[in-house]
Amino acid sequence: MVSEHPLPWLLPASALMVVFGLYPLLYAIWLSLQRKHPVTRKLSFAPSYNWSKLLGDERVWNALGNTLVYTSAALLLQLVLGMLIALLLDSDRKGYGLLRAMMTLPLVIPPAVTAMMFLLMLNGSFGVLARGIIATGLLPTGFSILGTANTAMAGVLLAEVWQWTPFMVLIMLAGLRSLPKEPFEAAAIDGATAIQVFFKLTLPMMSKVIAIAVLIRGIDLFRAFDYVKVMTDSGPGTATETLTSYAGRIYFGNADFPYASTIALMTLILVIFVSFVFMKVCKVKL
Amino acid sequence: MEQPRHLRILRDIAAVFVTFVFMFPILWWALTSIKPISAVFDKDRVVFFDFVPTLINYAVTLFGLSRSGIAIDQGIGMGVGGAEAYDSRRAILDSVVVSIGATAVTMAVAVFAAYALSRMAFRGRAAYLNWVLGQRFMPPIAILIPLVTIYKDAGLRDNDSLYGGYLGLMMIYALMNLPIALLLMKSFFDDVPKDVDEAAMIDGATRWQSFSKVVLPMVRGGVAASAVLVFIFSWTEFLLSLFLTTSIRTVPVKIQTFVTSTGNEWGFIAALGTAAAIPSFIFILLVQRHLVRGLTLGSLKE
Repeated sequence: MVSEHPLPWLLPASALMVVFGLYPLLYAIWLSLQRKHPVTRKLSFAPSYNWSKLLGDERVWNALGNTLVYTSAALLLQLVLGMLIALLLDSDRKGYGLLRAMMTLPLVIPPAVTAMMFLLMLNGSFGVLARGIIATGLLPTGFSILGTANTAMAGVLLAEVWQWTPFMVLIMLAGLRSLPKEPFEAAAIDGATAIQVFFKLTLPMMSKVIAIAVLIRGIDLFRAFDYVKVMTDSGPGTATETLTSYAGRIYFGNADFPYASTIALMTLILVIFVSFVFMKVCKVKL
Repeated sequence: MEQPRHLRILRDIAAVFVTFVFMFPILWWALTSIKPISAVFDKDRVVFFDFVPTLINYAVTLFGLSRSGIAIDQGIGMGVGGAEAYDSRRAILDSVVVSIGATAVTMAVAVFAAYALSRMAFRGRAAYLNWVLGQRFMPPIAILIPLVTIYKDAGLRDNDSLYGGYLGLMMIYALMNLPIALLLMKSFFDDVPKDVDEAAMIDGATRWQSFSKVVLPMVRGGVAASAVLVFIFSWTEFLLSLFLTTSIRTVPVKIQTFVTSTGNEWGFIAALGTAAAIPSFIFILLVQRHLVRGLTLGSLKE
């Protein structure tokens, strides 16, 4: 039977992945082995040129550092907040279903729009959030959170955490709801406190769910771009420049395709390497 | 375990409060979209509700009315700027075309592959699944850079023809969404017992007939949920759309052009932003049931 062979079924998806995925990827690798002459703009084969330039480029290290700070801070905040909110909303009583549904809304706003939203709210002179923080006396009047190197990253993270904490809430809620009832009933009979139940029962039983959530979120966080691009344009200076936004700047600023490709490929290699180690260590599979 | 009454009330208050905190930016956005400029830019105080609501921002962005005319009449608005620059109807159309096109392409290729990967045993099956998953790990910037050159050479980018800008963006969205659509569909196919196809084939149906007449109708809900998620991800995408097309502009890119040298047009930004979020809100509420499964690429089921 011809149709029993998987090939015809897989052909369209394979064609898409070859033409729009594999071919550009190979092209990017080829580009990273080329040197672009700054004046004649001609490409010449120089396999180690971009890669050695990358290792000596302080902005790459700065961008990598920012990416790591961004990824780990966002992951930690989203994970903790996500778990707390999931525990809070995990109830069968009336109204909670509505609250859970409302909680998913931030997820579907275009991130570029979310970024604008927080740009407005964090504006030092008329933004509602910035005004609120200034009113508490923590910051001086007219302080620009996104325009100051020390606080810009926190401002960008605020948008990121607001938009994606609901992702964690949803996944944690699904995890909580799939837990078996018996161990919790036994613990209640034994007189365990809520804190004990959480750390001794809930958390260990949720470990697989948490690992999957961390993996998926981590992959996305590592290629952070939208919020940084819209809210600070990687600035002030390079204070919020991530690997993706640096590659974008090189590409569209200097039109140095080979070097931008090299940075993008390094990002890809890091994502794959870190995810692979994570999947092995935590024994998760997607 | 029954909680004491006062604890229950405390929890209710906390739950409502937390949800409100997360709703606040959305409400503030919607409020900003109906504020006159003077209320948005008030440097002396934060204006909550004491303003005269206006629909001018929607009139300009969604209906293409001339802003300067209305602004002079009502004494609101800032700067001058042509009306066309803020008329977003074309951008909304572009976004709709690209998102629907991308969803159609993604689902068309994903459903077949997902069925084969769920039902047929063949060498390289696991490797193929990893290849699909690999697309999810790819930072878009890595393929964006070569793709611009490829598209330029192939005329998929700087082309004013209808297919020019649309096709190029649709195809790359299809690739980016393939892992989620394919793995999600596979998980839905996996839920249908294999006996179903076997029984159909014993009755004389071909593999194709058992797929199209028996199994596919059983996973209709899954197809709908996957399509909705792909649509939302295409609708909200920013980086590829920003860099890959010149002849079309999707809504997230269009909205960035409201940031001008004379000041940001917050009213227009808020109006278009609110309008852009509404279809996604409706869609997401429709697929609540499959949301977790979708967001985890079929790994977790609710």
